[in-house]
Amino acid sequence: MAKIIVVTSGKGGVGKTTSAAAIATGLALRGNKTVVIDFDVGLRNLDLIMGCERRVVYDLVNVIQGEAGLNQALIRDKRSENLHILPASQTRDKDALTLEGVETILGSLSEEFDYIICDSPAGIERGAQLALYFADEAIVVTNPEVSSVRDSDRILGLLSSKSRRAEQNREPIKEHLLVTRYNPNRVDDGDMLNLDDICEILAINLIGLIPESEAVLRSSNQGVPVIHDDKSDAGQAYADTVSRLMGEDVPLRFQHVPKRGLISRMFGGGGRR
Amino acid sequence: MSLKRDPAESAFTFKGGMLPMTVMELTSGDPERIRAQLAGKVSQAPAFFQHTPVVLSVEHIDEPHLALERICAVCRSHKLLPVAVRGGPDPVKQSAWALGLGWFPPQELRPRSVETNPVEKPAEASADAEPAMAASSAPIGGRIYRGTVRSGQQISAPDGDLIVIGAVNPGAEMLAGGSIHVYGPLRGRALAGIHGDRDAGIFCHDLHAELLSVAGTYKRMEDIDPRMMGSAVQVQLMEDQLKISALT
Repeated sequence: MAKIIVVTSGKGGVGKTTSAAAIATGLALRGNKTVVIDFDVGLRNLDLIMGCERRVVYDLVNVIQGEAGLNQALIRDKRSENLHILPASQTRDKDALTLEGVETILGSLSEEFDYIICDSPAGIERGAQLALYFADEAIVVTNPEVSSVRDSDRILGLLSSKSRRAEQNREPIKEHLLVTRYNPNRVDDGDMLNLDDICEILAINLIGLIPESEAVLRSSNQGVPVIHDDKSDAGQAYADTVSRLMGEDVPLRFQHVPKRGLISRMFGGGGRR
Repeated sequence: MSLKRDPAESAFTFKGGMLPMTVMELTSGDPERIRAQLAGKVSQAPAFFQHTPVVLSVEHIDEPHLALERICAVCRSHKLLPVAVRGGPDPVKQSAWALGLGWFPPQELRPRSVETNPVEKPAEASADAEPAMAASSAPIGGRIYRGTVRSGQQISAPDGDLIVIGAVNPGAEMLAGGSIHVYGPLRGRALAGIHGDRDAGIFCHDLHAELLSVAGTYKRMEDIDPRMMGSAVQVQLMEDQLKISALT
């Protein structure tokens, strides 16, 4: 049986798709058979981040409506044979998804894969609720700003009340906090919320801290999940996150401003990449 | 389940809801006396009289035949919408039904307050269904909630005290007929005495509330003395003002 993990946030633009792509890739690189599903029907993005947009033929909605088989719609990742992508439809809207259809797809994928990563759309409406409904675990992506924290709090409320586990009174969804776009300099300046404040309000287990990084935008535009860029801070932070997701105990990095050496201070360069 | 949406199959779904409702506890059945008192109230709190739904409670009137139709007309002319009647003998029940109103049995276990003030309800009643933990409520009266109350959640104890063991986050709302106790930071809204109990209070370990209200008298975060923020406090209604004092 696969573990179903939803990547969600409430607020848009905080890095759900980037995180879903990186984490799915990371799990696959560790030898887990992984599929990542784009639930953002109508605003298809995951295929771009994964760099497989030219190979999309069928999508999630086609499968739900019986127009294509699951194996026809699954796209194998170019870089990792353990990783598959199920893209969203760009021409439909979220009403094309049905609960039964999603359940059937997740059921079939469960037999074949170790991890199913559901990339949720923004918002708290139907699309987001369908993405989280069947989840076993949730990664709540949060930026260090008040509106993102509040929206994550709202999503946590839905996870504990509107999921299948909640409705069947089973063990609740395991919730993880993933803080992205963290910039310790701006935290020190008071422009950004600090990690402790975010953790205090959301009161869930922290699974990762991704620093604000130029590498993220670069890899998005190249269609290569940032975790492949193992020289970059963001890539390493996602690798740490995947380790924690698999149960390893890894120390938290990138929380504080790195101490700069004498030379870099004198010449002013040496910014983080 | 709300996610199953097939318009051809179901036109609606029934959902349990707990909406805060103003009860108009009548001590007189005379429409003219009601009219006079309502006129005074409207000038005090015009914002309240915006087609506000009310339940007419007639359980404290000993009259077998009430001029229910005229009472309703008086209410409507002051922009109160009677939606149901509570209590009263059988003829009252029959005439409520005839007028298209609902009827509730009298409530015996609730302590009576002398005067029922209109409840200012600045919040929308659009919260999600309460999470599974709601099942831990006591059968009558008070209620204990364990865990974090998150943005968008509304936890209510309409007939007693509400006790939260945990944090109340921004955007969450607590409603209680009695008092509200929060053993943790109170960052959301807390409305105590929603049926007009002026002796109700709000108690918390760590005040960061967005809104505090006792029996309809409220303070917004802006109105709260910043020195009280972050400390353990009690909030009480004194001379029509909310008094926030340190809890020592």
